[in-house]
Parts: sequence; C-alpha cells; structure tokens
Amino acid sequence: MSNLAVNSNLLETLSVLILLSSFVLMASKRINSYIKTFRIQSFLIALAAGIMGLRSLISEGRWDFLVVCLLIMIFKVLYIPNMLSKTYKNVSYKVEKDFILNIPILVLLCCGLVVFSYFTLTGVDGLSQDVLNLQLVNAVSVIWIGLLFMISRKKAIGQIIGFLVIENGLYITAMYSTQEMPFIVDLGIFIDLLTFVLIMGVMTFRINEKFESIDTDQLNNLKG
Amino acid sequence: MEQYLRNLFLMSVLLYVLGAAASALIYFFKKPYKTSMTGSVMVNAVCIVASGLGGAASAAKILLAVNSLKLINLSSTIPFISLEMNLDNLSAYFVLALSVLVFCVSLYSIGYLSHYNGKRNIGLFNLLYTLFILAMIGVLTSANTVCFYIFWEAMSLLSYFLVVFESEKEENTKAGTVYIVMTHIATALLLIGFIIIYSYTKSFALSANTAAIPGMAKNIVFILFLIGFGTKAGIIPLHIWLPHAHPAAPSNVSALMSGIMIKTAIYGLVRFVLCYLGVQNTWWGVVILILGILSAVLGVAYTSMEHNVKRLLAFCSVENIGIILIGLGVSFIAFALHHQIIGSLALTAALLHTFNHTLFKGGLFLGAGAIQYATHTKNIEDLGGLIKTMPLTALFFLCFSLAISAIVPFNGFISEWLTYQSLFASILPGHIGLNFLAVLAAAALALTGAMAAAAFVKLFGISFLGLPRSEQAAKAQDVPATMMIGMGILAALCLGIGLFPLTMIKLLDKVVFSVGGGSISGQLRGGFLLAYYPLTISVNSISPLTFMLALGVIILLAFIVIRIVGGKYIERRYGTWDCGFEALNSRTQYSATGFSKPIKIVFRALFRPIRKTIVEGDSQYHPEAIIYSTTVTSIFEDYLYEPVYRALLRFSRRTKFRVQTGSIHNYLFYIFALVLLLMLYNRFA
Repeated sequence: MSNLAVNSNLLETLSVLILLSSFVLMASKRINSYIKTFRIQSFLIALAAGIMGLRSLISEGRWDFLVVCLLIMIFKVLYIPNMLSKTYKNVSYKVEKDFILNIPILVLLCCGLVVFSYFTLTGVDGLSQDVLNLQLVNAVSVIWIGLLFMISRKKAIGQIIGFLVIENGLYITAMYSTQEMPFIVDLGIFIDLLTFVLIMGVMTFRINEKFESIDTDQLNNLKG
Repeated sequence: MEQYLRNLFLMSVLLYVLGAAASALIYFFKKPYKTSMTGSVMVNAVCIVASGLGGAASAAKILLAVNSLKLINLSSTIPFISLEMNLDNLSAYFVLALSVLVFCVSLYSIGYLSHYNGKRNIGLFNLLYTLFILAMIGVLTSANTVCFYIFWEAMSLLSYFLVVFESEKEENTKAGTVYIVMTHIATALLLIGFIIIYSYTKSFALSANTAAIPGMAKNIVFILFLIGFGTKAGIIPLHIWLPHAHPAAPSNVSALMSGIMIKTAIYGLVRFVLCYLGVQNTWWGVVILILGILSAVLGVAYTSMEHNVKRLLAFCSVENIGIILIGLGVSFIAFALHHQIIGSLALTAALLHTFNHTLFKGGLFLGAGAIQYATHTKNIEDLGGLIKTMPLTALFFLCFSLAISAIVPFNGFISEWLTYQSLFASILPGHIGLNFLAVLAAAALALTGAMAAAAFVKLFGISFLGLPRSEQAAKAQDVPATMMIGMGILAALCLGIGLFPLTMIKLLDKVVFSVGGGSISGQLRGGFLLAYYPLTISVNSISPLTFMLALGVIILLAFIVIRIVGGKYIERRYGTWDCGFEALNSRTQYSATGFSKPIKIVFRALFRPIRKTIVEGDSQYHPEAIIYSTTVTSIFEDYLYEPVYRALLRFSRRTKFRVQTGSIHNYLFYIFALVLLLMLYNRFA
C-alpha cells in the first residue's frame, strides 16, 4: 500500500516536471535548446511509463508497459532528437528571432492555459474527486502549450517540436487517465510519429531549398 | 391483384433500367453513328413500353382502389438507409402523368434525336434521359425522406447534365450554372426540413406520426419546404432558373422538365405539407395563395413580352404553376378551417391542372422543338407562314395553345373552371380577409387567362401565320412522323379530357379522397355537366361537349341564315391594298414586338422597357436604315438577385484575403481557438 503511495507521489512529481519542461521549451529561443528540452521531456515521460510498468509487472505480471518505456527511450529520447539535431546542423537558422508575441507574454499565456485546463477539467464527471485530477490537468496543459508553441514559432523545426510536444501531451494524458494503454495503440502512435518526423525532416530540407529559408510564413505564396 | 400490379410496375422500372444499361453500353463503346441511332430507337422503344406498363399499373392502382403497393423494401445495415418505395394513390397519379408524358416524348425523341446526327453521342443522351425518368419515379414513390432526398438530388443533377447537354454554346453552360445553384440551395433547405422533422419524430418514414412536432417547428419546416419546393416549381421570385434552363435544354428534355419535373415540387408540397405535416395554420394556405397569384400574374406578364419560343413557354410554366398554387392555397386554407369538401374541390382543381399542364406544356415544348428542328431558330420574329409547310405541327400547336389559354373544348378550361369554382365556393361568411383574397384571386385568374390567350395568339399567329420572315422559315419542312405522333397523342388527350372531363375527375376524386378525406364526385352534376353546387348556390354548370355542339350548330345556322338572306357569294380576287407600295412582303407584317407593345405600355412600371432607335445615314430625314431595339428589364434578377450575388462575391473575396490567408500559424490558431471553445462549452454544458 505504501509502495503505491510512493508511486503516486513520484508520478505526480513527474507530471509537474513534464509541465515545467514545456514551460522551459516555451521560454527558449535557440533551436538547439528546443531539441534538448524535448529530449528531457521525453525522458521524463519514459520514466513515468517505467514506473507504471514496474507497478503493473509487480501487481499483475504484465511487461508491456516496460516495452513502451523502452520504445520511448529509443525513439523520443534518442532517435528523433538526434535526427532533428542533424537537420538543425544543415539549416542556417540557429536562433528564433521574431515571435508572434514576445516570450514573457507567451509564458504568461501558458500559465493562463494551465488555469484554463484546470477550470475546464473540473467539470468533467468522474475526475473531480480523484487524485488523477491534477495530473490530468498538467497533461492536458502540455497539449495546449504544444499547440501554442506551434503557433508562436515561425521556423519549421519549431513546428515539428510543437507537434511532438502535443503528441507527448496526448500520450501522457492517455497514460495518466487510464494507467494502462493497450500495447497496440502505443505501437500505432509510435509509427504515426515516426512517419511524421521522417516526412517533416525531408520537407524542412525541401522548404529550405525552395524558399532558401525554413520560415513557414513563406508558404503563404503557395495559396491559390 | 395487388401482386399483379406490383409486378407490372416493377417490370416497367426494370425496363427503364435496361434502357439505361443499353444506352450506357452504346455510350461507352462509341459505336458508329448508324448503330447508335438504331440503339437509340431501341432505347426509346423500351421507354415507350415501360411508360405504358407504368402508366397502366398506376391507373389500375387508382381505379381498382387496392391498398398502396409496397414496391421495394430493402433495408440495409447502415442506420437510416433503407430503400423503401410505395405506390399510393397520390404517387400513382403523378406516375400516371409522368408515364403519359414519357410515352409521347419517347416517341417524339426517335425522330428528334436524329438532329444530333454525328454531332453528339446519343448513347450519353439516352443514358441521362432514362436515368432522369427513373430518378423522377424514385422521387414520386419514395416512402422515406432519405430515399426522397437521394432521388431528388439525383433528379436535379441529371436534369442539370441534360440542360448543359449542348455544352458547346456558352449560354447553355451559364443557364446550367444558374439552375444548379438555385436547385442546390433549395435542396439544402429541404434537407434541413427533413432533419428538423427527424429530430422530433425519430423516424425518416413518411408514415411517421408528426403529432410530436411542436407548432413553431412545423411553421419553420413549412417555410423551408415552401422555399425548397417552390424553387423547383418556379414560383416567383424563385423562378429565375426556368427562363434560362428551358431554352438551353434539348426540347424533349424541356418537355419533361417543364411537364413533370417541376410538378414533382407540387407533389412534394401535397405529400409533405398536406399528408405528412398536416395543415396547421390558415396562413400557410394564404401564403401559398398569394404566391400563386403573384406567380400567375407576373408569369403571364413576362410571357407576353418574350420572343424566344422556349423562354416564352418557360415563363408560361411559371404562370401555370401559379394557377396550380392558387388551387393548392385554397385547399390548404379550407383544410385548415376543416371544410373538407371545399378543400377537396380545390385540391382536385390543382391536381387536375397539374395533369393538364403536363399534357399541354409538354406538347408545346415538343412543338417548339419541332419548329426548332425545322427552322433552326427559337426567335419567333424569324418565323412565319409555317402553317403552310408544317400543317400538322401547326394543328397540334394550335390545340395546345387553345388548351393552355383555357378555351372551351380543351382540358385547360376544365381545371381553371374548377379553380374558379373552388375560389367562389371558398367565399364563406365570417372570413372577411379570406373572402377578399378569394375575390382578388379570381380577378387575378381572369386577368391571367386573358393575357395568356393574348400571348398565345401572338406565339401562334406570328410563327405559323402570315409570310415567312426569314430564309429558314421559308424552307422549313415538316418533321418526321414519330415526332408528329408524339405531339398528336398529347393533343388528342387534351381534347379528350376537355370533352369528357368526368372520366378524369372520377379518377382524381379517388386520389383526393385518399389525401384529403373529401369526395366531390357526388357533388358534381352527372353526364357531361361539370359543376360543383352546394344546395345553397343556384345551379352553376357548364358542359364543354354541349358547348362545342352548340357552337357548331350556331355556326351552321348562321351560315345557313346568311346564305338564305344574302344569297350566293360573289368571289373577287385581287391584291390587298398596299399603301402605294409595289408589293407587300414579310417586312410589312405585324411583328411580335408590335403585338406585345400595348401590354408593354400598360405594364411599363413592371417591365421598365428600354428603347433604342439608331438612325443610320447622312441625315435623320434621309435614313438609310433605322435600327430599333427594345428590351425588358427583369426586375427580379436586377433588383433581387444581383445585389445578393454581388454581396456574396464581396464577402467571399474578403474571406479569401482575411480568413483564408494561407498562413500555417493562422490555421493553427483557428484550431486552437476552436478546441478551447469546445472545452469551455463542455464545461458549461
């Protein structure tokens, strides 16, 4: 029983850390640090998955969560960030210069989003009484922040990171609310994500080649 | 018995399907001209047989008073989608009208299609034509709104393709665009109506109980249906597609479109408002009646201004839809006030006029097609003297013109007479406003009749009488026999119903009884006499046959009296007085413009005519040529649709620049904002 409580505490802490990492992401300007922050966030998620995996291994003898933890480690912590770093080296933009709003305002907006998701989620039946509530609020906030990140960044790598953060947010939302996801769903999500990153990696080069920049504002010219 | 009729009907449907399949084969294999022509004749023959079977089954269904036939009932595992088709009396009546028309039009098409000789793939035409008929049968027999909607949409789309069939002319594609935009807006409104009904009754079946629908919702649904069906019917001010689409379509198609397709809207109004929703408020009928009066009067006013044969006929359809709606409006008012008999009488009048209009308007379009076939022009100012070269066509055209002008021995008279009767009968003590409206409607109907007669005197007189006004008109030859037979049957039916109206009314009475619950045949005077007389009103009757016999007798008597009094004729032959010119030619004849000029002057507030006179030559006192042209402003297009169209265009442009910017960030922001809103909604809902 105490074991479980420790687990819950750990998970709660992790969820707060994940949320914090997305704040850090929002506050950073360097594309290099986007990738690092994403790597850290994914590592934290892998940790959370590992804790849940251990718990389910001990209580039910299931090992599939551990496999998921391993997959996150391989793909989100190692492969995808490495690949993005490679892309980063090939394009000339290192620092994001013009934002739609400045960074302090964006961070304040993120705070607002956390409050908003707290406000909206307390209305959902079956969630308000439980401990899950706060973890879920953190997880959903990560989704919002990821989307806001995508909106505020103009360079293609920023958009990719934003999308990956949204996906991370969705993933932990699912993980925290159900505690155990079907293995096959996890696999499906991973395959989706990999395809997305591969395609976007290629596209970024293409955009860079075509417009001599990875500024997605230039895509306006494609409008019919 | 039911089983036999059901099989007979299904056989006719199957034949249409076979015809469609055969035309598809001809279309896809692109056979040489001769083979495809033979194929086309075969397909039309199949349609003739199919329409014969379908018409027979429908007529038998009504006359034998069997239960409604369950034609097809295929349910699928997809929710709400099941193909259900029933043939009850109302459906059977409209299918009968459709079958009669298809029978004649198919016969006509055999000859008519030969003018596509080598120019067009006839397989495609026949494919669209048969599918169009099938879609209309589907509309008329659907037993749930999902089916109805699908067939309705299919009918609209197929007729669009038929309208733009001669797509090499730019005006045809433009006409098609106007048509499809109007018809799609209308269909969208119908769909909204169906969904509102579903949200209360939880069923798409037409047999569903609609008592659960609250009054306000019923009112909204009624308005949606009125606009939706009204657009298809072409009531003013929703009529603007008619004068574009009918001239563009091939003539056999315009005959079908004007003859029966716009009547599916009348079917829809009767089926959905009267049978399905039930008339709830008196104002429903009043709105329909007012729209009917407007359509009739304005429709006929525009009819008299037109010089393009098919545009003229299109406006005339608007007018006749107005007359039908007057009958329908009176019947809705009467049913809302629980006067079963008056309601049934007015409904009989409306439905009879629907059938009659199918016959003579179909025939007139076929006649217009024959003129076009022979002279390659639709402008009546270029015609003239066709009665000498095309005597039979002229005869049939005259019959249809008389019928549509409601002249006595023809069928148009019967239905207009019944409409008048219902208007007079609906004048009841205690409803001052309604009585006023009824009197007004009767007056409008009288005006309409007179002006329609004037318009058809012009149409017939200018195109068939006098001297030919152009080379083509002079060289015209009469059309192939099949075209003639097609028109001839319709003309014979017009005369037949006119002479023996009770046969038709007895049949119709059964239909009306099953719809409105009232029967009027007991109130009609027997024999050939035809009048509705409640005991309080003095005898009020007229017999077309006696009338015609009397007319014959009077003419004969007059002739004899003149011969007795005046003695023998003295015959003198010499030229008409020609004001000192050398010879009279076609240029000295009365023109269509001249003929309609008085009407144009009387109604100049409505027409807003624009006149232009250009004098060519050194001085205006020594003109070499004078060019005179006059046009009529179509106020609905210029003052109603143009502003709406321009506003829409402006709005779309702005949206394109401000909302659809092409920026990924903007698009992401839309998603972001929408999801946040949805979350908020979830919080408060």
